[in-house]
Amino acid sequence: MTHPFFPVLVLFFFAGSVVLALLLIAQMVGPKRPNPVKDEPFESGNPPKGDARIRFPVKFYLVAMLFLIFDLEGVFLYPWAVLFRRLGIFGLVEMGIFLTVVVVGFVYAWKKGALDWE
Amino acid sequence: MDLGNIASLDFFYPEAILTGTILLVVLLDLVLTNKRALGLVALAGCLLSLWATLQLYGTSGGWLFHRMIVLDNFSLFFKLVSLFAAILVLWMSRGSREVGEVHQGEYSAILLSSTLGMFFMASSTNLLMAYLSLELVSLTSYILTGFLPHNRRSSEAALKYLIYGGVASGTMIYGMSWIFGMAGSLDYARINQALLQGEANHLGLFIAFVFILAGFGYKIVFVPFHMWSPDVYQGAPTPITAFLSVGSNAAGVAILIRFFFPAVSRLGDDGNWMFLSGVEWPHFLLMVSMVTMTLGNLCALNQQNVKRLLAYSGIAHAGYILMGLVVLNNEGLQAMLFYIVVYLIMNLGAFLVVVIVANATGKEDIESYRGLAWRGSAIPAVCMAIFLFSLTGLPPLAGFVGKFFLFAAVIKQQFYLLAVVAVINSVISLYYYARIVKTMFLDFPQPSDGQVKMTAEAAVLLGLLSSMTLLFGIYWGPLVAFTNHSLSFFVK
Repeated sequence: MTHPFFPVLVLFFFAGSVVLALLLIAQMVGPKRPNPVKDEPFESGNPPKGDARIRFPVKFYLVAMLFLIFDLEGVFLYPWAVLFRRLGIFGLVEMGIFLTVVVVGFVYAWKKGALDWE
Repeated sequence: MDLGNIASLDFFYPEAILTGTILLVVLLDLVLTNKRALGLVALAGCLLSLWATLQLYGTSGGWLFHRMIVLDNFSLFFKLVSLFAAILVLWMSRGSREVGEVHQGEYSAILLSSTLGMFFMASSTNLLMAYLSLELVSLTSYILTGFLPHNRRSSEAALKYLIYGGVASGTMIYGMSWIFGMAGSLDYARINQALLQGEANHLGLFIAFVFILAGFGYKIVFVPFHMWSPDVYQGAPTPITAFLSVGSNAAGVAILIRFFFPAVSRLGDDGNWMFLSGVEWPHFLLMVSMVTMTLGNLCALNQQNVKRLLAYSGIAHAGYILMGLVVLNNEGLQAMLFYIVVYLIMNLGAFLVVVIVANATGKEDIESYRGLAWRGSAIPAVCMAIFLFSLTGLPPLAGFVGKFFLFAAVIKQQFYLLAVVAVINSVISLYYYARIVKTMFLDFPQPSDGQVKMTAEAAVLLGLLSSMTLLFGIYWGPLVAFTNHSLSFFVK
């Protein structure tokens, strides 16, 4: 009689009503005593100072990006190392090609000055 | 033929050559001092890859790399289209002042990476591969769009494109997860089998298809996934705009056809395709097609910037191309392929003239085309008129033949409303295309308007594209035969 996905609908309804109920209860029962200190933006307990939009060096992004790329590419070596004997010469050649591509990328990043801090 | 990793390499030369060229360009960029030579290296790689692709054309086909991608004439056709787009755009970029100021090595390498992504888009037969290839094309397109340094419009366009693309591809991969849930596989052939058994829920399939259509539609630029296109087309370097408008559009059509025809449909004995889901797809696509072309044309009417105008005209043309999908038969698909080739030629030509005028005046608005025919050489103005009238679909130009096939396919299946809307739209489009022609020929140049000169390279390319537009308008037989031959999918 019921659709196979009927329980999912019930779940949706239940999840929604729980959220709604919690919000409503907090709204009705919860005590409200606002004061100026509470209305300030929270900054780890310190009094907030300065503007939220500050300049910071974009160099960190570059380092983080390079790290992500080379880190992930390094991870690919592990499965190969585990299966090194079974993959044999084919695996070696394939990994050689892969590493060539990685090294080209590394040389490129180096030559273009992506690793220079200043 | 169902080949493994090593055996597939024999049929993988076009992609391998492109990959090698990308690496070579990146490495040469570090050692060469003459950066303009890098464009030539990229061009040579493309030509070599073109040769390799032509060698494979007509072979019996098969699955490569454990059914991840497929080799058939259909995929090779779209590989040829994206290669042609890449070659012409690389050529066009050599004469562009805008592009001359950017890093040539990265520019060429990323352009080739995008082309490589289009290769995979045309040939993937696995939802995962389809998603990855689409992302490869998207990511490289974002970078290329924002390539102009110290240009706010270019950066803004890239950011808008990125956000829009992120949402669209997220929606698409969500739809793909539904398909995986219902069919139990990401492989197109297995999805087809699962749907053939008819166990999937119709409503679920409909929702999944709509989600997937968001991703494909954003590449093809049809309504309601078109919002990014005017800003991106205006902000990107002009050759890249040309590349996006033809290359990624064609690749999107390829991935769409590959998914909606061999994967989730069945070819009946009478030559008509039937969707396996039992959902009324033709009517849905019919609406999308009509709305797309109408909105594109109406918005184009009042544009002052030529690149923006061509962006809206591109939306309208996506609507025309979708007409071929509505009829669900091979005739419609063939008309789509034909129109894509024709659109590639005439649209690249129009953008080439935009590049030439922008080189001379530094501007892209219609006013800078005032009296173009009387400022130095009349050739760019005459060629622009040819391209624009071809885009409108006037005989005896290639655009007319392309539209004729689309309209014929639609009328044969008795979608009269769609045909009427398309004809009305063509008439509307005549207004804004003819407005540019009028500005070029009937308005007289002011003394402040500079002379327009072209380089020899640009002149050769312009002559080539305009003569092809004329040629396919009067002698389209070989192209029809080629598209007819290209419409073969490898399914088993």
